[in-house]
Amino acid sequence: MTITVCIKWVLPNRDGDERFAGISLADQAAVETGLSVAEALNDTCTVVTVGPPAAEASLRDALACGAHDVVRIDGSADTDSAETARLLAEHCVHSRFIVCGDYSADRGSGSVPALIAARLERGQALGLIDVRIVGESLSVVRRLDGGRREKLSIVGPAVISVEGSVARLRRASLRATLAAGEAHINVITNDGSGALRRNPETVPPRPYRPRARVVPSPSGSSALDRVRQITDTSSSKGHGETVVLSPEDAASRILESLRAWGYLADSAT
Amino acid sequence: MMTSPTQHDADIIVVGAGPAGSCAAIAAARAGKSVILIERGPFPGSKNMYGGVVYPRILDELVPSWWETMPVQRWVVKRSTMLLSDSGALNIDFRANSWGAPPYNGATAYRPDFDNWLANHAVEAGARLVCSTTVTGLLRDSNGRIQGVSTDRPDGDLHAPIVIACDGVNSFLAKQSGLYPHTDASNFTLGVKETLALPKHVIDERFGVRDNLGVDIEILGGTSGVNGGGFIYTNLDTIALGVVLKLPKLAAQQKRPEQIIAELKRHPAIAPLIEGAEVKEYSAHVIPEAGLDMMPTMVADGMLVAGDAAAMCLAAGIWLEGVNFAMASGMYAGQAAAEAIAKNDVSSRGLSGYTDRLEKSFVLRDHRKLRKVPHLVLSDRVQHKYPAFVAGVVERVFRVDNPHPKPGVRRIVREERKKAGIGLLDLLRDGWTGMRGFG
Repeated sequence: MTITVCIKWVLPNRDGDERFAGISLADQAAVETGLSVAEALNDTCTVVTVGPPAAEASLRDALACGAHDVVRIDGSADTDSAETARLLAEHCVHSRFIVCGDYSADRGSGSVPALIAARLERGQALGLIDVRIVGESLSVVRRLDGGRREKLSIVGPAVISVEGSVARLRRASLRATLAAGEAHINVITNDGSGALRRNPETVPPRPYRPRARVVPSPSGSSALDRVRQITDTSSSKGHGETVVLSPEDAASRILESLRAWGYLADSAT
Repeated sequence: MMTSPTQHDADIIVVGAGPAGSCAAIAAARAGKSVILIERGPFPGSKNMYGGVVYPRILDELVPSWWETMPVQRWVVKRSTMLLSDSGALNIDFRANSWGAPPYNGATAYRPDFDNWLANHAVEAGARLVCSTTVTGLLRDSNGRIQGVSTDRPDGDLHAPIVIACDGVNSFLAKQSGLYPHTDASNFTLGVKETLALPKHVIDERFGVRDNLGVDIEILGGTSGVNGGGFIYTNLDTIALGVVLKLPKLAAQQKRPEQIIAELKRHPAIAPLIEGAEVKEYSAHVIPEAGLDMMPTMVADGMLVAGDAAAMCLAAGIWLEGVNFAMASGMYAGQAAAEAIAKNDVSSRGLSGYTDRLEKSFVLRDHRKLRKVPHLVLSDRVQHKYPAFVAGVVERVFRVDNPHPKPGVRRIVREERKKAGIGLLDLLRDGWTGMRGFG
């Protein structure tokens, strides 16, 4: 079984300008949640969407972030929720967890995850504001009316939807981004009878994909310092390194690094 | 310097997918070299701004029949130069309808559209475009030779024997490589622009154009005492209005640029043109205006600098051009880089084909010819005294002041010159400099 993440690629307006198209923050959080869960459970993560060829840009982003497989089910960008859920459900039958965003970039009703759960007769936990992995299960917090919260433990198979605040999508590595740009995307077409047919010649070669890592939030006493840390290209980003040394050697090594990074004059001791 | 046998990710890395970067990538990819084009924004042009006219004839070499697909707002058929005094204006118009048909002359365009279009040609030529990626530095081998770039992405080092820096004005890469040893704020101006929305038919009526034909107005004066100039360009259903301000003067006068734009918009010659317009966008950008005097060394071992990063901006009064210089320098950089790879010599000597091309083309020849003009245009006399002087002369020439007889023009010129505080020697000196530059 695998972890399947369902995302919706959206054009922000009707003029067809694909430069501004993409997925919602909630869908990004869903991708990150799916990747994290797959890593923790030693499972695979597949990202799937129903959409036109232009939607493949978002799938490539997911691939670059570490998804093991991506699938586009061919359809128009404004396929209705029931049909979208039917197409996705058919593809997700063998999934352990199906992870969706709580809302799409066009502020949809968030009904697709519920419809998928109904079609597959799975348990569902929607509108999650926190997801933690505990052993083989998920410990989640769900927002209720009146400011209340509900804590649940989910073993799966199940459908969950997450809000955008649950996780921040990791930054893809450069090499994975380059590889994803040239990777084949699996495309599944609807043959007219309602059944889905996978395009046989599009089995992708796996791109070189080193594990993506989460970039830590900037630290600094003021907002300006933090913004500078992210945007100032003239400053060194530094390199993290863990070494085991005696206290004296460690102190020397720190001084050596500070000197190499330009924080200390050559003569400073 | 021969290319080392280390594993390279590409033959050439181009930093920045603006006009210079995309043209470099097109030229190099067409020559059969593998190219990675790195862009900081989410798509090419997403963070770029200008307030000007694109003169795309240089594209004849790279994109045949470019006018058929280029995302143009309006083809400029009318050029105006406006001299503003406090309350008056002298406007000199020129109209050429032939500029509204192939092969055209200049066009207004939105940079997010234009840059994206040009980058797509680079991708079609075979370049690999990577967006949302900031280049943070140069990679060097143990001998200090440039070997590629580092980026802000994890696992983000890329190796290539040649890096073409098209990372815009204030280029970090050119500085880091030591090609830009010092920068002087007086060589830069700050361009600020408002994009003002008006219905197309209103723009057509007010500016005397129709269909997709447009107007370019350059303004001298009207910048609230800060040295610089103004501009108005017509897009299809917006107007780009802005000012270009000399940085030290702006700092000394302690004025906000948006305040200066607001004052320009209130000028009696400008206000009727933009009445009822809605501000859709406000943007600002630093411009390298000192021409040849501020250009960095453009070639190093394994590295070329092009576009704004190489100060390829011509600010010579009646000629205000940048994008065409960027495209040309990018194209020549791409060609020279491909040539150097083919010769297996990426040293500065092997890359010298770049400067040879620049020297033989309009790029450096125009800059050499007009070397002193940017300083003249931004001088205090041209900025503050001449507009008032000219407006004063014209106002008196056309004023009918019966029962007094009309004064002679020579007398008016003499009196207005004295009133404006312009010495005869200064006038002759500036006239001579201008003649030498423009002549």
